[in-house]
Amino acid sequence: MFVYEKRLQYPIKIKNPNPALAKLIISQYGGPHGEIGASLRYLSQRYSMPYPELKAILTDIGTEELGHLEMVGAIVYQLTRNVSPEDIKKAGWDAYFIDHTTGVYPVAASGTPFSADGLAVTGDPIADLNENLAAEQKARLTYDNILRYADDPDVRDPIKFLREREIVHYQRFGEGLRILTDKLDSRNFYAFNPSFDKAKKAKGN
Amino acid sequence: MSRQERMMRQLSSMKFAAWELHIFLDTHPGNCEAAKKLEEYRKKISELTREYEEAFGPIHETHNDTSRWAWISGPWPWENEEDDD
Repeated sequence: MFVYEKRLQYPIKIKNPNPALAKLIISQYGGPHGEIGASLRYLSQRYSMPYPELKAILTDIGTEELGHLEMVGAIVYQLTRNVSPEDIKKAGWDAYFIDHTTGVYPVAASGTPFSADGLAVTGDPIADLNENLAAEQKARLTYDNILRYADDPDVRDPIKFLREREIVHYQRFGEGLRILTDKLDSRNFYAFNPSFDKAKKAKGN
Repeated sequence: MSRQERMMRQLSSMKFAAWELHIFLDTHPGNCEAAKKLEEYRKKISELTREYEEAFGPIHETHNDTSRWAWISGPWPWENEEDDD
């Protein structure tokens, strides 16, 4: 189960609203490489994952990503506070505003609502862990792209923190993949779907 | 920066260090040095958490003080204290 801790993983205190920047950053809330997708991907992959180390790392990183979702939501919220309809229009935030006002809704920067298409849960540990390595890099590059457009230090600071977390998670998933490949049967080194086939073998079919 | 903010930042940095060690141990479960460091941070965290919660209200739902329902009091984590709502 999950329990809420009443704090952000990293503090966010944005003095100046900037809906034009929120329009870009919201992609990490509900976009294809965003935090909600990351969290659901890892928490959903856990069930079919072999080995205690891998179950633990997926649970813990999936949980941390929920904290990151909250941070991105806080950034979007604070960037769109106390702005006039005129400023919203000037910033290009008006189309979003029509549907969601100042609510924080999971969409990509390009306007597509969050889609589970980006989750990739295959039930194959090798495929899933490689997917996660790519996902962490995709999230990292999205933060790099956000940093190209964000010049407010109040925003850059937490975004840099989030970017660094992608790098650490990539490292941990890499270690997870190594733990898995080290344990593969040498006769089945290019294993396909090892957890599924192992379960079948144990049942004797 | 207010005293509350300063204390929260201190607590957050300790919690961050502990979390880094926690996920490191997921893939290095036999690393005694990391486990020992984690233990040290946890001690500091529980002291600081008690201090913070006594002064500014609960961070955890298990917080002991139910004399008033302080859980609902703001600011919530995503809010700026300057905002008046």
